[in-house]
Amino acid sequence: MTDELLVARAQLGERAALAELVERWRTPVWTYVRRMLDAERADDVTQEVWLAVIRGLPGLREPGRFAPWLFTIARRSVTDRLRGQYAAEEARSPDVSPSADPAGSTADSAVESAVESLVDRAELVALVAGLPVREREILVLFYLEDLSVEDCAQICGIPAGTVKSRLSRARRLLRAHLEEKGYRP
Amino acid sequence: MTEEEPRLSARELIDRLEPALAARTRVRAVAALVAGVSGTLFVTALWAGEPGPLPVRTHLAFGLFIVFCLAWACYGGWLLARRVPLFATDRVVAGWIGVTASVVTTVATAVAAVQRGAGLGTALALGGLLTAVALALTVRAHARRAALLRRVRELSGRDGA
Repeated sequence: MTDELLVARAQLGERAALAELVERWRTPVWTYVRRMLDAERADDVTQEVWLAVIRGLPGLREPGRFAPWLFTIARRSVTDRLRGQYAAEEARSPDVSPSADPAGSTADSAVESAVESLVDRAELVALVAGLPVREREILVLFYLEDLSVEDCAQICGIPAGTVKSRLSRARRLLRAHLEEKGYRP
Repeated sequence: MTEEEPRLSARELIDRLEPALAARTRVRAVAALVAGVSGTLFVTALWAGEPGPLPVRTHLAFGLFIVFCLAWACYGGWLLARRVPLFATDRVVAGWIGVTASVVTTVATAVAAVQRGAGLGTALALGGLLTAVALALTVRAHARRAALLRRVRELSGRDGA
Protein backbone atom coordinates (compact mmCIF):
# COMPACT_ATOMS: atom_id res chain seq x y z
CA MET A 1 0.00 0.00 0.00
CA THR A 2 1.40 3.42 -0.96
CA ASP A 3 2.00 6.21 1.55
CA GLU A 4 -0.57 8.35 -0.27
CA LEU A 5 -3.29 5.72 0.18
CA LEU A 6 -2.40 5.23 3.84
CA VAL A 7 -2.41 8.99 4.46
CA ALA A 8 -5.78 9.46 2.71
CA ARG A 9 -7.29 6.62 4.76
CA ALA A 10 -5.80 8.05 7.96
CA GLN A 11 -7.23 11.48 7.04
CA LEU A 12 -10.66 9.88 6.82
CA GLY A 13 -10.20 8.74 10.42
CA GLU A 14 -9.16 5.09 9.97
CA ARG A 15 -7.13 4.20 13.05
CA ALA A 16 -5.60 1.12 11.43
CA ALA A 17 -4.19 3.24 8.59
CA LEU A 18 -2.79 5.74 11.10
CA ALA A 19 -1.16 2.92 13.07
CA GLU A 20 0.39 1.52 9.90
CA LEU A 21 1.69 4.96 8.95
CA VAL A 22 3.32 5.32 12.38
CA GLU A 23 4.77 1.81 12.08
CA ARG A 24 6.17 2.53 8.61
CA TRP A 25 7.74 5.90 9.40
CA ARG A 26 8.66 5.42 13.06
CA THR A 27 12.25 4.34 12.41
CA PRO A 28 13.06 6.89 9.64
CA VAL A 29 11.82 9.75 11.84
CA TRP A 30 13.71 8.44 14.85
CA THR A 31 16.87 7.98 12.73
CA TYR A 32 16.74 11.61 11.59
CA VAL A 33 16.10 12.89 15.11
CA ARG A 34 18.79 10.64 16.64
CA ARG A 35 21.40 11.71 14.06
CA MET A 36 20.68 15.33 15.00
CA LEU A 37 20.29 14.98 18.78
CA ASP A 38 21.68 12.90 21.63
CA ALA A 39 20.09 9.59 22.66
CA GLU A 40 18.46 11.08 25.79
CA ARG A 41 16.41 13.58 23.79
CA ALA A 42 15.76 11.48 20.66
CA ASP A 43 12.83 9.46 22.01
CA ASP A 44 11.05 12.45 23.56
CA VAL A 45 11.49 14.56 20.44
CA THR A 46 10.31 11.68 18.23
CA GLN A 47 7.15 11.43 20.32
CA GLU A 48 6.68 15.20 20.07
CA VAL A 49 7.08 14.98 16.28
CA TRP A 50 4.41 12.28 16.01
CA LEU A 51 2.03 14.29 18.17
CA ALA A 52 2.46 17.26 15.83
CA VAL A 53 2.01 14.95 12.82
CA ILE A 54 -1.27 13.59 14.17
CA ARG A 55 -2.54 17.08 14.96
CA GLY A 56 -1.59 18.35 11.51
CA LEU A 57 -2.55 15.29 9.45
CA PRO A 58 -6.23 16.24 8.87
CA GLY A 59 -5.05 19.49 7.28
CA LEU A 60 -2.42 17.97 4.96
CA ARG A 61 -3.57 18.93 1.45
CA GLU A 62 -1.21 16.72 -0.58
CA PRO A 63 -1.17 13.18 0.84
CA GLY A 64 1.36 12.26 -1.87
CA ARG A 65 3.87 14.69 -0.32
CA PHE A 66 3.72 13.07 3.11
CA ALA A 67 7.46 12.39 3.53
CA PRO A 68 8.68 16.00 3.02
CA TRP A 69 5.84 17.26 5.23
CA LEU A 70 6.73 14.73 7.94
CA PHE A 71 10.40 15.68 7.93
CA THR A 72 9.53 19.40 7.91
CA ILE A 73 7.75 18.80 11.22
CA ALA A 74 10.63 16.69 12.53
CA ARG A 75 13.12 19.37 11.53
CA ARG A 76 11.09 22.04 13.32
CA SER A 77 11.26 20.06 16.58
CA VAL A 78 14.99 19.44 16.14
CA THR A 79 15.66 23.09 15.26
CA ASP A 80 13.88 24.17 18.43
CA ARG A 81 16.39 22.10 20.43
CA LEU A 82 19.43 23.24 18.42
CA ARG A 83 18.50 26.89 17.90
CA GLY A 84 21.78 28.06 19.44
CA GLN A 85 23.91 25.85 17.21
CA TYR A 86 22.08 26.86 14.03
CA ALA A 87 22.43 30.55 14.87
CA ALA A 88 26.14 30.22 15.70
CA GLU A 89 26.87 28.38 12.44
CA GLU A 90 24.85 30.87 10.41
CA ALA A 91 26.89 33.72 11.91
CA ARG A 92 30.20 31.90 11.44
CA SER A 93 29.79 30.72 7.84
CA PRO A 94 26.92 31.90 5.64
CA ASP A 95 26.02 29.57 2.74
CA VAL A 96 28.14 29.75 -0.43
CA SER A 97 26.42 29.13 -3.76
CA PRO A 98 27.70 26.04 -5.62
CA SER A 99 28.86 28.08 -8.63
CA ALA A 100 31.16 30.10 -6.38
CA ASP A 101 33.03 26.96 -5.39
CA PRO A 102 34.01 25.09 -8.58
CA ALA A 103 37.29 23.73 -7.21
CA GLY A 104 35.49 21.39 -4.86
CA SER A 105 33.62 19.45 -7.56
CA THR A 106 36.32 16.83 -8.27
CA ALA A 107 36.86 16.15 -4.60
CA ASP A 108 33.07 15.97 -4.20
CA SER A 109 32.62 13.21 -6.73
CA ALA A 110 35.47 11.21 -5.19
CA VAL A 111 34.11 11.49 -1.70
CA GLU A 112 30.55 10.92 -2.86
CA SER A 113 31.43 7.39 -3.92
CA ALA A 114 33.05 6.83 -0.54
CA VAL A 115 29.94 8.15 1.23
CA GLU A 116 27.68 6.00 -0.90
CA SER A 117 29.77 2.93 -0.23
CA LEU A 118 29.54 3.64 3.48
CA VAL A 119 25.90 4.53 3.52
CA ASP A 120 24.70 1.42 5.34
CA ARG A 121 27.54 1.23 7.74
CA ALA A 122 27.86 2.31 11.32
CA GLU A 123 31.10 4.24 10.61
CA LEU A 124 29.17 6.74 8.55
CA VAL A 125 26.81 7.33 11.46
CA ALA A 126 29.73 8.09 13.77
CA LEU A 127 31.35 10.40 11.21
CA VAL A 128 28.11 12.24 10.50
CA ALA A 129 27.71 12.99 14.21
CA GLY A 130 30.87 15.10 14.04
CA LEU A 131 29.57 17.41 11.29
CA PRO A 132 28.07 20.88 11.88
CA VAL A 133 24.26 20.75 12.23
CA ARG A 134 23.36 22.37 8.89
CA GLU A 135 25.57 20.01 6.87
CA ARG A 136 24.62 17.06 9.05
CA GLU A 137 20.88 17.51 8.51
CA ILE A 138 21.27 17.72 4.73
CA LEU A 139 23.48 14.64 4.69
CA VAL A 140 21.04 12.67 6.84
CA LEU A 141 18.01 13.72 4.78
CA PHE A 142 19.72 13.11 1.43
CA TYR A 143 21.64 9.90 2.11
CA LEU A 144 20.06 8.20 5.12
CA GLU A 145 16.44 9.18 4.39
CA ASP A 146 16.93 9.01 0.62
CA LEU A 147 15.08 12.26 -0.08
CA SER A 148 15.60 14.31 -3.25
CA VAL A 149 17.39 17.69 -3.32
CA GLU A 150 14.00 19.34 -3.93
CA ASP A 151 12.47 17.60 -0.91
CA CYS A 152 15.49 18.57 1.24
CA ALA A 153 15.05 22.18 0.06
CA GLN A 154 11.37 22.15 1.04
CA ILE A 155 12.08 20.58 4.43
CA CYS A 156 14.86 23.02 5.31
CA GLY A 157 13.12 26.03 3.75
CA ILE A 158 16.12 26.89 1.56
CA PRO A 159 16.73 27.01 -2.23
CA ALA A 160 17.83 23.81 -4.00
CA GLY A 161 21.16 25.50 -4.82
CA THR A 162 21.84 25.98 -1.11
CA VAL A 163 21.06 22.31 -0.48
CA LYS A 164 23.66 21.38 -3.12
CA SER A 165 26.27 23.70 -1.63
CA ARG A 166 25.65 22.30 1.86
CA LEU A 167 25.85 18.76 0.51
CA SER A 168 29.09 19.65 -1.20
CA ARG A 169 30.55 21.10 1.98
CA ALA A 170 29.28 18.12 4.00
CA ARG A 171 31.01 15.70 1.62
CA ARG A 172 34.27 17.62 1.89
CA LEU A 173 34.09 17.65 5.67
CA LEU A 174 33.30 13.96 5.60
CA ARG A 175 36.23 13.35 3.26
CA ALA A 176 38.52 15.09 5.74
CA HIS A 177 37.18 12.89 8.56
CA LEU A 178 37.51 9.77 6.40
CA GLU A 179 41.12 10.61 5.59
CA GLU A 180 41.85 11.22 9.25
CA LYS A 181 40.62 7.69 9.90
CA GLY A 182 42.87 6.32 7.17
CA TYR A 183 40.21 5.75 4.50
CA ARG A 184 41.41 6.56 0.94
CA PRO A 185 38.74 6.89 -1.77
CA MET B 1 29.59 0.65 17.12
CA THR B 2 26.24 -1.15 16.90
CA GLU B 3 23.22 0.26 15.06
CA GLU B 4 20.80 1.92 17.46
CA GLU B 5 17.06 1.32 17.37
CA PRO B 6 14.17 3.44 18.67
CA ARG B 7 13.43 2.52 22.28
CA LEU B 8 9.67 2.79 21.77
CA SER B 9 7.93 0.13 19.69
CA ALA B 10 5.22 1.23 17.26
CA ARG B 11 2.57 -0.05 19.69
CA GLU B 12 4.08 1.92 22.61
CA LEU B 13 4.34 5.04 20.47
CA ILE B 14 0.69 4.77 19.40
CA ASP B 15 -0.33 4.17 23.05
CA ARG B 16 1.43 7.39 24.01
CA LEU B 17 -0.42 9.27 21.26
CA GLU B 18 -3.73 7.84 22.41
CA PRO B 19 -4.83 10.86 24.55
CA ALA B 20 -4.70 13.10 21.45
CA LEU B 21 -6.74 10.57 19.46
CA ALA B 22 -9.33 9.67 22.11
CA ALA B 23 -12.97 10.28 21.16
CA ARG B 24 -13.66 12.09 24.45
CA THR B 25 -10.97 14.69 23.59
CA ARG B 26 -12.74 15.47 20.30
CA VAL B 27 -16.20 15.48 21.90
CA ARG B 28 -14.98 17.85 24.62
CA ALA B 29 -13.49 20.28 22.08
CA VAL B 30 -16.59 20.28 19.84
CA ALA B 31 -18.90 20.61 22.87
CA ALA B 32 -16.92 23.60 24.21
CA LEU B 33 -17.09 25.37 20.83
CA VAL B 34 -20.76 24.63 20.17
CA ALA B 35 -21.91 25.44 23.73
CA GLY B 36 -19.82 28.63 23.80
CA VAL B 37 -21.11 29.93 20.46
CA SER B 38 -24.75 28.94 21.16
CA GLY B 39 -24.60 30.48 24.64
CA THR B 40 -23.13 33.70 23.26
CA LEU B 41 -25.87 33.95 20.64
CA PHE B 42 -28.67 33.15 23.09
CA VAL B 43 -27.56 35.66 25.73
CA THR B 44 -26.81 38.36 23.12
CA ALA B 45 -30.28 37.95 21.61
CA LEU B 46 -31.90 38.11 25.06
CA TRP B 47 -29.91 41.20 25.98
CA ALA B 48 -30.60 42.96 22.68
CA GLY B 49 -34.32 42.11 22.92
CA GLU B 50 -34.88 43.43 26.44
CA PRO B 51 -38.02 45.59 26.13
CA GLY B 52 -37.44 48.11 28.90
CA PRO B 53 -34.43 49.98 30.34
CA LEU B 54 -32.27 47.73 32.50
CA PRO B 55 -30.31 48.47 35.70
CA VAL B 56 -26.53 48.72 35.34
CA ARG B 57 -26.05 45.50 37.32
CA THR B 58 -28.20 43.55 34.83
CA HIS B 59 -26.18 44.95 31.91
CA LEU B 60 -23.02 43.90 33.73
CA ALA B 61 -24.43 40.41 34.33
CA PHE B 62 -25.35 40.00 30.64
CA GLY B 63 -21.90 41.26 29.62
CA LEU B 64 -20.11 38.89 31.98
CA PHE B 65 -22.18 35.94 30.85
CA ILE B 66 -21.36 36.70 27.19
CA VAL B 67 -17.65 36.94 28.06
CA PHE B 68 -17.92 33.58 29.84
CA CYS B 69 -19.58 31.96 26.80
CA LEU B 70 -17.07 33.54 24.43
CA ALA B 71 -14.21 32.19 26.55
CA TRP B 72 -15.61 28.65 26.14
CA ALA B 73 -16.07 29.21 22.40
CA CYS B 74 -12.47 30.43 22.05
CA TYR B 75 -11.18 27.52 24.12
CA GLY B 76 -13.07 25.01 21.93
CA GLY B 77 -11.88 26.77 18.76
CA TRP B 78 -8.30 26.74 19.99
CA LEU B 79 -8.51 23.03 20.88
CA LEU B 80 -9.84 22.18 17.43
CA ALA B 81 -7.36 24.41 15.61
CA ARG B 82 -4.21 23.48 17.56
CA ARG B 83 -4.61 20.49 19.81
CA VAL B 84 -7.25 18.01 18.70
CA PRO B 85 -7.07 16.30 15.32
CA LEU B 86 -10.49 16.28 13.68
CA PHE B 87 -10.38 13.82 10.79
CA ALA B 88 -12.68 14.04 7.76
CA THR B 89 -15.42 11.81 9.19
CA ASP B 90 -15.21 13.59 12.57
CA ARG B 91 -15.67 16.92 10.79
CA VAL B 92 -18.88 15.74 9.15
CA VAL B 93 -20.24 14.60 12.52
CA ALA B 94 -19.07 17.82 14.20
CA GLY B 95 -20.69 19.84 11.39
CA TRP B 96 -24.09 18.22 11.94
CA ILE B 97 -23.78 18.70 15.70
CA GLY B 98 -23.13 22.38 14.96
CA VAL B 99 -26.14 22.62 12.60
CA THR B 100 -28.41 20.95 15.17
CA ALA B 101 -27.17 23.16 17.99
CA SER B 102 -27.56 26.33 15.92
CA VAL B 103 -31.13 25.43 14.88
CA VAL B 104 -32.08 24.59 18.50
CA THR B 105 -30.50 27.85 19.71
CA THR B 106 -32.29 29.86 17.01
CA VAL B 107 -35.67 28.30 17.88
CA ALA B 108 -35.13 28.80 21.64
CA THR B 109 -34.08 32.42 21.11
CA ALA B 110 -37.03 33.09 18.79
CA VAL B 111 -39.50 31.52 21.26
CA ALA B 112 -38.09 33.67 24.09
CA ALA B 113 -38.37 36.77 21.88
CA VAL B 114 -42.00 36.01 20.95
CA GLN B 115 -42.95 35.43 24.60
CA ARG B 116 -41.49 38.81 25.57
CA GLY B 117 -42.84 40.50 22.49
CA ALA B 118 -39.52 42.02 21.41
CA GLY B 119 -36.25 41.13 19.68
CA LEU B 120 -37.58 38.52 17.24
CA GLY B 121 -35.75 40.11 14.31
CA THR B 122 -32.41 40.12 16.15
CA ALA B 123 -32.92 36.52 17.28
CA LEU B 124 -33.71 35.31 13.77
CA ALA B 125 -30.87 37.30 12.19
CA LEU B 126 -28.24 36.03 14.62
CA GLY B 127 -29.61 32.47 14.59
CA GLY B 128 -29.83 32.46 10.79
CA LEU B 129 -26.23 33.64 10.52
CA LEU B 130 -25.02 30.95 12.94
CA THR B 131 -26.99 28.24 11.13
CA ALA B 132 -25.65 29.38 7.75
CA VAL B 133 -22.05 29.22 9.02
CA ALA B 134 -22.65 25.75 10.52
CA LEU B 135 -24.23 24.54 7.26
CA ALA B 136 -21.36 25.93 5.18
CA LEU B 137 -18.82 24.13 7.40
CA THR B 138 -20.84 20.90 7.14
CA VAL B 139 -21.06 21.11 3.34
CA ARG B 140 -17.30 21.71 3.20
CA ALA B 141 -16.68 18.74 5.51
CA HIS B 142 -18.84 16.49 3.30
CA ALA B 143 -17.00 17.67 0.17
CA ARG B 144 -13.61 17.01 1.76
CA ARG B 145 -14.67 13.55 2.93
CA ALA B 146 -16.10 12.72 -0.51
CA ALA B 147 -12.86 13.86 -2.20
CA LEU B 148 -10.80 11.69 0.15
CA LEU B 149 -13.06 8.67 -0.43
CA ARG B 150 -12.72 9.16 -4.21
CA ARG B 151 -8.95 9.35 -3.87
CA VAL B 152 -8.87 6.21 -1.69
CA ARG B 153 -10.94 4.33 -4.31
CA GLU B 154 -8.62 5.49 -7.12
CA LEU B 155 -5.48 4.55 -5.22
CA SER B 156 -6.94 1.22 -4.03
CA GLY B 157 -7.81 0.36 -7.64
CA ARG B 158 -4.28 1.24 -8.73
CA ASP B 159 -2.79 -0.77 -5.86
CA GLY B 160 -4.99 -3.76 -6.69
CA ALA B 161 -4.24 -3.62 -10.43
